[in-house]
Amino acid sequence: MKNNARFTSPRLRLGVVVAALALTGCATVESPSPRDPLERLNRGTFAFNDAVDGAVFKPIAYAYRDLTPAPLRSCVGNIFGNVEDVWSAFNSLLQARGHDFFNTLGRVMFNSTMGLGGCIDVATMNGAYRIKNDLGTTLGVWGLGTGPYIVLPFLGSSTLRDGTASLGGFAADISPLTPVMAIDNVPVRNVILGTYAVDKRESLLDADEMVNRTALDRYSFIRDAYLQQRDALVNQRKGDGSAVPDYSDDELPDYSDNGAQEAAR
Amino acid sequence: MHYPNTLSSLSGTAKRLIAAAGLAISALMISVSAHAQAAIDAKGAPNDFVQAVADNALQAVKKDEAAKSGDLKRINQLVDQLILPYVNFEKTTRLAAGRHWRQANPQQQQALVEAFKGTLIRTYSGALANVDDVSRIDIQPFRGDANADDVVVRSLVTRSNGPAVGVDYRLEKTPEGWKVYDINIENIWLIQNYRNQFAQQIQQSGIDGLIKALNQSNLK
Repeated sequence: MKNNARFTSPRLRLGVVVAALALTGCATVESPSPRDPLERLNRGTFAFNDAVDGAVFKPIAYAYRDLTPAPLRSCVGNIFGNVEDVWSAFNSLLQARGHDFFNTLGRVMFNSTMGLGGCIDVATMNGAYRIKNDLGTTLGVWGLGTGPYIVLPFLGSSTLRDGTASLGGFAADISPLTPVMAIDNVPVRNVILGTYAVDKRESLLDADEMVNRTALDRYSFIRDAYLQQRDALVNQRKGDGSAVPDYSDDELPDYSDNGAQEAAR
Repeated sequence: MHYPNTLSSLSGTAKRLIAAAGLAISALMISVSAHAQAAIDAKGAPNDFVQAVADNALQAVKKDEAAKSGDLKRINQLVDQLILPYVNFEKTTRLAAGRHWRQANPQQQQALVEAFKGTLIRTYSGALANVDDVSRIDIQPFRGDANADDVVVRSLVTRSNGPAVGVDYRLEKTPEGWKVYDINIENIWLIQNYRNQFAQQIQQSGIDGLIKALNQSNLK
């Protein structure tokens, strides 16, 4: 009994955590990913974000989900989505995607009126699905590469291009968030910002659970998923959206025959 | 696709939306799940094949109270019964392992496929989680060469709460008919997303280490 108690002492546990961190630190150097030269630093930020998220944001998001009725949550999410649509439309315009621009503008008009100020996404219900767009994608369509993968403190996955685009947009008064910053009534402004953050986090809970269920290494899983998704957005805008990953490089044509023969022996 | 011009397409969209608005409520009342249960023809057109397999699974989840309320064990079982027979797990695992596959001996390869299977089932289940009575799967128009041996079928999974989710299936033609070997959820291809994780684990602790790690995550 006494021995057991000693093994679970806080100091020992801390020691195990430090050892585990040290091991992870060594491992990252062994298999560098070309798009993630800052992996060591990123893994540190990732661990920090995870700790903050687990202690603060995730519990709040779950409480929000448990305490509010689903229709209210969907209303809140839709209102923010409606504001973001304005920003998406603007970026579609920057990408000279007139069809997307007018469709998204039509969505905003329809949802703002028939959808009671964006509360109900009537446009999606009628088959006019959201066409997401953002400045990072615009820069990608214009030919800018993503640059290295970066994990931003608190905000998570990004790249040099996308991170600069969102921070730049925020600073230059053109992000969907900045009109909120212009609100003089500080409590109102903070409530809106807080609700926005909680709504965003809540919408990610399912994805989060899915990652926990399926990932071998959460860091790599999330990084590769993020990069795939961002690349796909840009490629779709550029018109080669039907491109599928090419796995053929690693597939030796005569391999499976060998395998079959060996297995048969 | 052809769009005459953006203005007319806007007015077209607006007209469609306004016309549809009146119908929206009644459409919501009538359950959209009126698809007749189609027989699965693995040698037919890839779109019809995926539609039939997906609809079968969707109907099964809708009928099952446990699965509908998000019981993952039950969803995994349904996936195992209804989707698994049409999936080529061996190919998925082989492509995810990439060049490392050749370093493994046949026993290791078999163990790897078995170990990865749990992860794959959980991933396919993820595409069926959060299903409700209005959920439906719309297969998108087929793009690409219908006579090819390697095709992609695109679908959109809609539900009452939350945005529509794009789910694509990559299929190959085998003597027994079409087999799914890769799945894409919201622009993320499964195989692509496991390549780095596999390589990383193999570099750290070899093929056996990877098998062990996968089996461990199956216990979660």
